[in-house]
This record gives sequence, structure tokens and C-alpha cells, in this order.
Amino acid sequence: MSEKYIGKDILKVDVQDKVTGKALYPDDIYFKDMLYLKIKRATYPHAYLRKLDLSKAEKLPGVVRIISAADIPQVKNFGLMIKDQPVLVGIGQKMRYMGDALAIVIAESKEVASKAVKLIEVEVEKLEVISDPLRAMDKNAPLIHQDGNILATHYLEKGDIKMGFAEADLIVEKEYRTSFLDHVPLQVEAGVGIYDKKSGVITLWVATQWLHDTQADIAQSLGLSKEKIRIIQPVIGGAFGKKEDISVHIHLALAAIETKRPVKLIYSREESMIAQSKRHPFIIRAKTGATKEGYLTAWQAFVIGDTGAYASSGPAVVHKGMYHCTGPYNVANVKGVAYTVYTNNTYAGAMRGFGTTQMAFAYESQMDILAHQLGINPAQFRLQNAYEIGSSTPNGQILTHSVGVKETIKEALNMAGWKGEAQ
Amino acid sequence: MTKLKIELMVNRKKRKIEITPSTRLIDLLRDDLQLTGTKEGCGKGECGACTVIMNGELVASCLVLAPQADGAVITTIEGLGSSDHLDPIQEAFIESGAVQCGFCTPGMILAARRLLEENPHPDEEEIKRGISGNLCRCTGYQKIIEAIKLSIARLSKSDSGKAK
Repeated sequence: MSEKYIGKDILKVDVQDKVTGKALYPDDIYFKDMLYLKIKRATYPHAYLRKLDLSKAEKLPGVVRIISAADIPQVKNFGLMIKDQPVLVGIGQKMRYMGDALAIVIAESKEVASKAVKLIEVEVEKLEVISDPLRAMDKNAPLIHQDGNILATHYLEKGDIKMGFAEADLIVEKEYRTSFLDHVPLQVEAGVGIYDKKSGVITLWVATQWLHDTQADIAQSLGLSKEKIRIIQPVIGGAFGKKEDISVHIHLALAAIETKRPVKLIYSREESMIAQSKRHPFIIRAKTGATKEGYLTAWQAFVIGDTGAYASSGPAVVHKGMYHCTGPYNVANVKGVAYTVYTNNTYAGAMRGFGTTQMAFAYESQMDILAHQLGINPAQFRLQNAYEIGSSTPNGQILTHSVGVKETIKEALNMAGWKGEAQ
Repeated sequence: MTKLKIELMVNRKKRKIEITPSTRLIDLLRDDLQLTGTKEGCGKGECGACTVIMNGELVASCLVLAPQADGAVITTIEGLGSSDHLDPIQEAFIESGAVQCGFCTPGMILAARRLLEENPHPDEEEIKRGISGNLCRCTGYQKIIEAIKLSIARLSKSDSGKAK
């Protein structure tokens, strides 16, 4: 097998369809008598929904049906790690970010659905909007979810941090902040759904990165067995982590059951930006000690990850980030704490690197600052501290194979033709 | 809603069609003519996924109202080559590994086609400028540029006919 494939050019199975425009992405699937959905979203980032007036929207010709929370009392919350996301926000319930769904408009055309959404009247009781995770962590801050704004706390300890700093000749302590990032897969969230009355099976043509988890989450939310949810994965127009979370899926299922007709839902790009996951913004406080010979002795990390209104993969992303606080560098004494915090921002979830990308900004900056202050070539400083076979990570994993960081640094220097810093 | 009758040439076929005044060219192509190779990525003319060739020029079909295309000659990805007979640019994209998720690919190939019609021997900077209206989120562009370079050699050997 290896001789047949390794080192050979193998064509992607669907590449011919992709260059000729034949590949079917979710938005490319059409059915006769298909209806179009549009979601009415939150009107304020943190508020109680007091009134939802559908009457004008329902009278618009071409509107088939509008589903609100009152119509689906049996439907449960969903979410990748914690079931904290409502399918629709009901009267007296809270909207926690601008992406929360208030109603599903089902219409004969995209145009009518878009017009109808604008005719829905919403009244809210506004609450303090918490956009800063440091404010969310205040003792007197209003609670976004009832169990508190700190969703998860993770700790890390290796060696003796006090001893490590005592051994250091130089200690650098800095704070780093990273921003929200959208994955911007070129295709937005989209899908088509059909309900078969006879078998009770809902078929969804929709992108997902977690086929079976998505199926299970939809099933538990709707109170159906998994066998009743069939997901057909069309060609995916990019994902990068953004399509791990449920988006159009449950709304499509509900509309298909309600109308018994094929239904389609496509987000606008703005809607995708507002409603669907982001890379976590991190606040990282890093304190790093090194000897005057340029060896790291201690590293302390304090990490806050803003997971926005819902958990998504937040607790996993943020604590994984903390585990990588030293980057690929040997440090015998490490201590860390990571908080995953709710705010009223768009929720944050998985994105390429899964928390480690944010940390790289902090640890590589620390390495440069230390090297500069120690008067050591920053490449040499990295090389003499870099992982090798047998190194142990901050969470105690012994690296037994495939440790290429030193070779990578050397090759990067070589390719860049870098001769050292201009002093 | 008022309907307008328009007539246009799409992929060398004459089409007569009734549309609403607010229909965009991309909707006409996708919803009415089932030419779903033209993709919508942003709806704002930023990403280039909906690129088609209209009267010899590249346009973002999400920014063109369908009535504006009355009398126009349009080439979409479906008009470039078929699975049996690929355009040399399509072949080069396959061979160079320039296709990942594929969502930008139709627009990217049409942009390359237009570039090479105007300038059959572009240098690397000209290639980059030629595809500067088309975003790709997967490849990092390097293999797309390599594919276009490969197309230059292929096209100078075989003349597969210009996009109409």
C-alpha cells in the first residue's frame, strides 16, 4: 500500500466536480416546493424578551408559518460541551448575545422571508451588557447564566514555582491580549431539510465537522431518537472549526416537521459573523524567569478566555491554551490558572490551533523580551531551551517521538538568511 | 411583483427569462438556470466566489442586477469545460493541488481565464493582481499561482478557444 500511494500524486476524489462547478455544497441543493427560512435574531446583547409580536409578519403574503419558543415547549437546549444554548428564546427568557434566535420565519421565497423578519416587533427589558471578561469576573457583576460567569477554572502545576523564580537572574512579567477572529470559511452556514411523515425521519443536508455528535445533539434537543435524524454531509465550503457547532440544523428540522415541505436556510455573511463561533480572545499574564546563561527556570501563566454567551468548546480551548503556556521550551517549574468566562459577546469555540495560537503570541514575545534583556541572540536562546526527545511538557507529558522544533528553528534561520539582530 | 422579460446568452446558449427587478444575476444563474457552480460567499462583492465573465469582463454576480444583464454574453464555470473535456486551466488546478474546499475554485478559475486572455504570459506579480479579487481561505494562494503558471504553458501549446 505504501509503495502505491506514498510519494505519489493522488487526485482528490471530488476535485473534478470542484473545478467544473458540479460539486454540491449545501446551498446548491434544491427541491420542488422548497420553502426558505430566515431567523429573527436578538435585538439587544443582554435582555429579557418581554414581547414578540408576529402579527404583521404573519400577514405578509408568502409567509407560510412563523415558529417561536411558545410553539416548541418540548425542545431542549443544545451545545457542544454544555447544553446552554436555547433553540429559540421565549418570553421571559434571556437573550445573551446578538446571535440568539427569537423566531423562525418560513416563507415561499428568500425575499419574503427577509421582509417578514423585519416586520417582527420585539420588546425587551435591557440588562447590563458585559463585553469585558474582567467585568464578568467581578463579584457584583450580573449573571449571564445562573451558575456564574466563570464557566470553568483549570489549574496547572509542575515542579516548584517559588524555587524556579529564586533561581532566576531575570524575571519578565507582561500582559498580552488577543482579539476575536472569525474563521471566515468561504461558504457560510447553510442547509436543506426534509421530514418524512411516514418514517418520522428528518434528513438534513448540512455541513458539520462532528457528524455523530451533531446528530446526537439535534436528537436530544428535539426529544427524538438518533435514528430519526439523518445527516448527509454535502461538500463543505471550508470550516476551520467554525462548523463544529450547531447552526442551521435544529431550525431546519423544526421547520421541516412543521411544514412537511423541503426547507432551506442560508445565513448571510453578517449573520454568520454575529451568530456563529469565533476564536477566543485571551488575556494572558505571563511571568518568566531565566538565568543569565539563558536557561528558563520558571514560568507562571494566568489566562482568561472570553467564551462569549455560550460554552461551545470554550473550557477545552482555554485550558489547552494554558497547557501550552511555555511553548516548545523546557521549563522545570510551571504554574498556571485558566478561566473560561461568559460574556455577552458572540460565543467562541474551536478554531485552528484550539487555544495554542493565542498563547504563541505571549510566549514568543516573552522569549524575545528575555533574549533582548539578557543580551543573547534570540535564535540561540530558543535553541538552547527547545524541546527534544525526553522533554516534559507543563502538564508532564514526556515527549518520546517526532520533536522537530530545533531542526525547524535552524531551517527557518537558514531559509530566511537571518544573521542576527541589528543592534 | 412586476416581472421583467430579459434575454441573454449564457454559456453559448440563448436564454429568455422572466425575473423580478430586484433579482441579482447570481440568483438568476443559480435559482433559475440551476448553474450552481457560481457561489455566494459574502453577497457584497468582496470575496469573488460569485465571479462570472460578462461581456468579456469579470463581474461579481452578486453586485449585478439581473435586468442589467439583458442582452449580455455570460460565461460561468459550467461553460468553461466539461468532465470529459476539461479546460487547460481546470486541468492545471487539479494537477497543482490548487483545490481544497473548492468554494473559491469556480471564481478563481474564471479570473485566471480572463487574465490569460488579456495577458497570455503574465509574471508572478501580474498573476497575483489578476486573482486579487478572489479570496481563498484554504490554500494560502501558492498552489493557485503555480496552477496558473502551469496553465500558461498549456495554453500556449493548445488553443482551446476563448470564453465567450
